[in-house]
Amino acid sequence: MVDVYYFTEMPYAAFDETEAERYPSMRLTFPNSYFDADTAHGLFRDYFDQYQWAEEVGFDGLMINEHHNTPSCMDVAVNLSAAVLGRVTKGAKILLLGNMLPTTDNPVRLAEEVAMADVISGGRIIAGVVRGIGIESWANNTIPNHNRERFEECHDLMLAAWTRPGPFRWEGTHYHFRVINPWVLPVQKPHPPIWVPGTGSPETIVWAAKHGYTYAAFLVPMDATVRLYDAYREHAAEAGYEATSDNFAYMVCCVCADTDEEAQEIGKHYLWRMGHPLRGPVEYWAPPGYLGRRRPLRPHRGGAPSGDRKPLHTLSYEELQDAYHLVVGSPQTVLEKLSHMRDKLGFGSLLLEAQAGAMPHKATMRSLELLGRDVIPALKKG
Amino acid sequence: MASNWQEETISVAGLDTQVFSGGSGEPLLVLHGAGGNPGWMPYCEALAAHFRVIAPSHPGFGASGRPDWMERVHDLAYFYRWFMEQQGLGPLPVVGFSMGGWLAAEMAAMCPTLLSRMVLVGAAGMKPRDAEIADIFLMTTEEGVALRFYDAAQVPDYDALFGELTPEDIQTAAWDREMAALLTWKPYMHNPKMPHLMAQVKLPTLIVWGKQDAIVPVECGDLYQQAIPGAGLTVIDHCGHSPHIERPDAFLAAVLPFLTFQAC
Repeated sequence: MVDVYYFTEMPYAAFDETEAERYPSMRLTFPNSYFDADTAHGLFRDYFDQYQWAEEVGFDGLMINEHHNTPSCMDVAVNLSAAVLGRVTKGAKILLLGNMLPTTDNPVRLAEEVAMADVISGGRIIAGVVRGIGIESWANNTIPNHNRERFEECHDLMLAAWTRPGPFRWEGTHYHFRVINPWVLPVQKPHPPIWVPGTGSPETIVWAAKHGYTYAAFLVPMDATVRLYDAYREHAAEAGYEATSDNFAYMVCCVCADTDEEAQEIGKHYLWRMGHPLRGPVEYWAPPGYLGRRRPLRPHRGGAPSGDRKPLHTLSYEELQDAYHLVVGSPQTVLEKLSHMRDKLGFGSLLLEAQAGAMPHKATMRSLELLGRDVIPALKKG
Repeated sequence: MASNWQEETISVAGLDTQVFSGGSGEPLLVLHGAGGNPGWMPYCEALAAHFRVIAPSHPGFGASGRPDWMERVHDLAYFYRWFMEQQGLGPLPVVGFSMGGWLAAEMAAMCPTLLSRMVLVGAAGMKPRDAEIADIFLMTTEEGVALRFYDAAQVPDYDALFGELTPEDIQTAAWDREMAALLTWKPYMHNPKMPHLMAQVKLPTLIVWGKQDAIVPVECGDLYQQAIPGAGLTVIDHCGHSPHIERPDAFLAAVLPFLTFQAC
């Protein structure tokens, strides 16, 4: 049985894309003078309508994420959108992938916010945690060298805030609190499930497996994902438990239309998402120390991390589809492809980034309807 | 007039420390900047005609070790107190370049009896009032090098410093950059308390700046001069952030009279 989630990064694509060519990247330093709040107001309305519709037509969950200084993602506070979804939806899981632990200065406030969202939603929060791409170290001005250790300490403190009876004190390395005693605690006990996304970093696999947290592979080719899941299973066995499909999630881009031809046309909006937002100098994506202390140099070509693979922003529309990063088609075509992925990977959750760039709201709503009413039930049966 | 300089590794407080030294006479401590220790350079040789020049690589730079706990410029100041104690060095003159100037200023504030006089060259550490200190980590290494000089064509050792690099050089430069980022990330390249700390410095001090410094603006030189009682300021025209590299003759003409004043 597979749970299927709807995800949009809530992009802002209402400007001439070629403007990005004048700047090193569409992230971090791309001028915010291209932003218009009235336009964004309309977009947020559409995106939240899409989430509500997704639940109504049969999606099991709603995934949200967070980035800063980028038109590719207007969700700048994942707990804010979680609170909204917690109120306007009824039963769907709300998957936060996630809170950026290393860049937060107040893990107790973070724990409170997630707990509040869990209470508002009646216990539907999945509290994903992320290290944040290097660009977030810039946008939040946190020392890149501390990324891994702050990730771990912030996680430990957040869990303590949820589970350890207060008041208590925390004198850590990066975080110091005199009186931790949050009044609002999560509905889910001992705490909301924790997930962690990855694009292939071995440390993330080890960490997720050690804690038994669901690992979500983001736009990783299927062969590489098989190896990552296998590595997870090995580390899980070492930690004394057997990983099941619940430990594995997989994220792909996906759009559905009544015909393949129509879908192929709409799907081109993903080229915006896979283009400029993933491009940029290595100094943005991997500031000094972000990859760890005195790590041996590895070649980094700039752009979003892609391991040894060809960077996503260099792939053509056809290549993106051939690699199954992007699934486009009629319900029948999409079902065939997603079923193939499910059978090959054995994940328990499938995260569909089913909106991208300036994809028209109507087309997105129709796509969600076809996915929810035709594809998801068949995918669950198969 | 070769100084018979040498490179050695000594242990200070349990830390392997790479030291370049040469010349004879009164010891002179030379503190490198965020870009790392360039080694025994012609300006070292010229200074070594008057002093025993001691140019260590800071913890975390070059071949020196890196203790996990050292994360601030003042942590390096503690280290150099131990270094001097271990080497039996009494009060001595210090020349600090860029981040090394910031380090010298922290030493002067923390333990003035270590030093006899101080030269700050394009020193970081002081928050500018008007302009900004350039964000060297947000640019590529090549862009950073370009910004460092007023006119790269007048840099005598440009090829030796920035030409063909070995894989080891590239690795060391990356680790130097990582350590520099850790030390200077926030607040970026300055200590907000610096004006107050400098107000109590009683050392004879010379401040040297390239007039066209595009990394640490020359106004920071003015602010250091205003803060340190009796400090002198020499501004070198047609010169960027690293006068000792870009215009070594003008740099030496500025600092040697000040450094050798006692001997006269």
